Amino acid sequence: MSTGSPDHDDKTVLGMDRLITMANQIGDFFAPYPPERRAEGIRNHLRTYWDPRMRADLLDYIAAGGDGLKPFVVEGALLLKSGADPTGYYGPPQDAETRRIAGAAGLTRRGHNPA
Amino acid sequence: MANPIKPDNSVVTTCAYCGVGCGFKAETYEGRVVRMIPWKEGKANHGHSCIKGRFAFDYYISPERVLTPLIRTTIDEPWRSVGWPEAIEYAAKGLRRVQEKFGRTSVGAVSSSRCTNEEIFLTQKFARAVLGNNNIDNCARICHSPTQFGLSATVGWGAASQHFDSILQADVIMVVGANPTEGHPVFGSLMKRRIRQGAKLIVLDPRQTESVKSPHLKADVHLPLRPGTNVAVLDSISHVVVRENLYAEDFIRARCEWHEFENWAALVGSDQYAPEVIGPLAGIDPQDIRKAARLYAGGPNSAIYYGLGVTEHSQGSTGVMCLGNLALACGMLGREGVGVNPLRGQGNVQGGSCLGSWPHVFSGYRFVTDDAVRASFEKDWGVTLDSEPGLRLPNMFDAALTGHFRGMYIMGEDPVQSDPNQNHIVEAMRRMEFVILHDLFLNETSKYAHVFLPGSSSLEKDGTFTSAERRVNRVRKVVEPMAGYQDWEIVVMLMNAMGYPAEYSNAGEILDEIARLSPAYQGLSFALLDRVGSAQWPCNESAPEGTEVLHTKSFPRANGRGTFMLTEYVPTAERTSDRFPLLLTTGRILTQYNVGTQTRRTPNTRWHSEDRLEISREDAEARGIRDGEWVQLTSRFGTTKLRAQFSTRVNAGVVYTTFHHAKSRVNRVTSDLSDWATNCPEYKVTAVEVTRVEQASETATAKRKKQKALEMA
Repeated sequence: MSTGSPDHDDKTVLGMDRLITMANQIGDFFAPYPPERRAEGIRNHLRTYWDPRMRADLLDYIAAGGDGLKPFVVEGALLLKSGADPTGYYGPPQDAETRRIAGAAGLTRRGHNPA
Repeated sequence: MANPIKPDNSVVTTCAYCGVGCGFKAETYEGRVVRMIPWKEGKANHGHSCIKGRFAFDYYISPERVLTPLIRTTIDEPWRSVGWPEAIEYAAKGLRRVQEKFGRTSVGAVSSSRCTNEEIFLTQKFARAVLGNNNIDNCARICHSPTQFGLSATVGWGAASQHFDSILQADVIMVVGANPTEGHPVFGSLMKRRIRQGAKLIVLDPRQTESVKSPHLKADVHLPLRPGTNVAVLDSISHVVVRENLYAEDFIRARCEWHEFENWAALVGSDQYAPEVIGPLAGIDPQDIRKAARLYAGGPNSAIYYGLGVTEHSQGSTGVMCLGNLALACGMLGREGVGVNPLRGQGNVQGGSCLGSWPHVFSGYRFVTDDAVRASFEKDWGVTLDSEPGLRLPNMFDAALTGHFRGMYIMGEDPVQSDPNQNHIVEAMRRMEFVILHDLFLNETSKYAHVFLPGSSSLEKDGTFTSAERRVNRVRKVVEPMAGYQDWEIVVMLMNAMGYPAEYSNAGEILDEIARLSPAYQGLSFALLDRVGSAQWPCNESAPEGTEVLHTKSFPRANGRGTFMLTEYVPTAERTSDRFPLLLTTGRILTQYNVGTQTRRTPNTRWHSEDRLEISREDAEARGIRDGEWVQLTSRFGTTKLRAQFSTRVNAGVVYTTFHHAKSRVNRVTSDLSDWATNCPEYKVTAVEVTRVEQASETATAKRKKQKALEMA
């Protein structure tokens, strides 16, 4: 299906200021995690909760300099380009080490049983 | 005076007000409800009720109810009354026209927690299968979305861990940002009963609420924290738990991810969260933080109950995580008398959350990005579904302002009155090409709608509600739908008119579809509920009549363990300043309900005819304000007028109001900041100034004079 949208007044789906505020707020939450987990937490959140147009707008903005975004937010957002597992998960952001420690067979990114 | 009318019929159903979900016997005479009798078999209320459920039902026959569909071409035209077929066709064509012109994702839908599970499920199916996108949200977005996020992250499921009666086993009750005696009165009474039996009470609330001190009840510790400091104070309580070794190591090692506990303990145990640091920041006595921590951790059974005072913040989700972390650390989950329990504002907020009215998850909180989950829905519904999350409600309005969002189906909601930063919402509504409003009344939002579909009240339809204790209760049709159709039938008509064949002979068949597609609801059916009365999810093969207490053996996470999230305190960007030196926070009272759509249309207004601004004598006198005087309330977002009421319930620096009356326009003032994770609005913290009305107009005149002088110079 087409997402074609011929007639828009503005280029970005939300005002860019709003998007920057939201992205930095997400960054603030993951800030206390070690760098690798912090970036992964931001990636997972953007991937799972943001409309794809919002993600694309953020990446375009980063490509154009990313003014006003915290550096580690940029780092996390750029992981979106890696094509990592798009399936979301709840819980602490994971890296290889925490996944190993968590130790359950089959503990995927999902980390969650459906209700 | 006794009711002189002797009823000729009665039907057992569920109250549609707060999330307690009381059972009522609705008695009718000649097809009209004459009495609501609290039902003794109701598992939430055991024959009790409050003043809303018992008396505030006449809204359903209010003369203001609209009983025929209305349409118009533009919002400046008067409404034209039409028949159902014409209205449905007009609505369907309108949405398709917008999609053809602006793309598949330019439209969306929002469902209401006043509607049944079946209607909510159907509305998300309408968005996903018929509109072909995931632009679907529900009103939990603006109240308890952080609950789903924060509890899913720590304990696995975004729902109360207990049944209400569990509180009768609690030794310590911690109420955070909630006022159960007003907001959830039947549960509030149960809480009072336990307190009279000797349970200790801790309350975290900026205001000295009725739950802090009222007949039969006095908190052992009240932390009147400054609005916006929840996370700091909860982390500080955890700091004491960690530093004084009050945590339950055996429980954590056996049931939780120990390494995540260690990470968390290092953060909250750091000096920055010491009560001596956080106390002054939050305006509370450090010793009270220590006292609260020791009481809670000491239990032996400690139970947390919380409300919108936790969620409606820029760190709302973090606040919920703090509660999950704290309960896990102290081993206060997995048995009677303990737990973490959101008190839900509306009758079916839990159901709204469970049943997939979210842009990122299907029913059962399963991600739309998950191929296996999506495939199960595609198979059942016979269409390909969008694999990307859609826009959230606040983002829909944002996107309307940029021209990317042009049409909307609103079921049982009044975003213009209930969403924050009203001026922004109104502008967004004006920008939309086509809006369908489905409601009982021509509410504030109707001014910006092109189609009005007259809905049915909960007395006029069949279905289920899921209460705050995960209890799925039957809603039964007491009287015939006044406008002709039950709400789910209206959605079905709309689906068919838009080319998606949908056929259900009764609401029970929708519940069957829900059960088929949602693991926690697997065992539910009208037949079961008619047999056992009600059942708490998860209800499945291993729990055929439902589950009272969650997490008794494991947590619903892949490795079965609870986990800890790092909850750094990040102050909200909404700060007081010289211009706006006070903090406004909001709440509810017993006799009224939310924005008052229902209760304002009943005799309950006798007890609360207007919203008032509670202000401390100190702040009032500094501004020359007298008790009962009209004042102007101004924030950087907007302004409104209310009558001031001197109050000892709020500390200096904090003002408070209810938001039950449309004329108060409190949401002209509230901020546009929102939770980092869910965009739940930060209703509970807005920097404001309060001025006498005369003084305010003088100031405006003075300003004009000054401007004139400047122009002339």
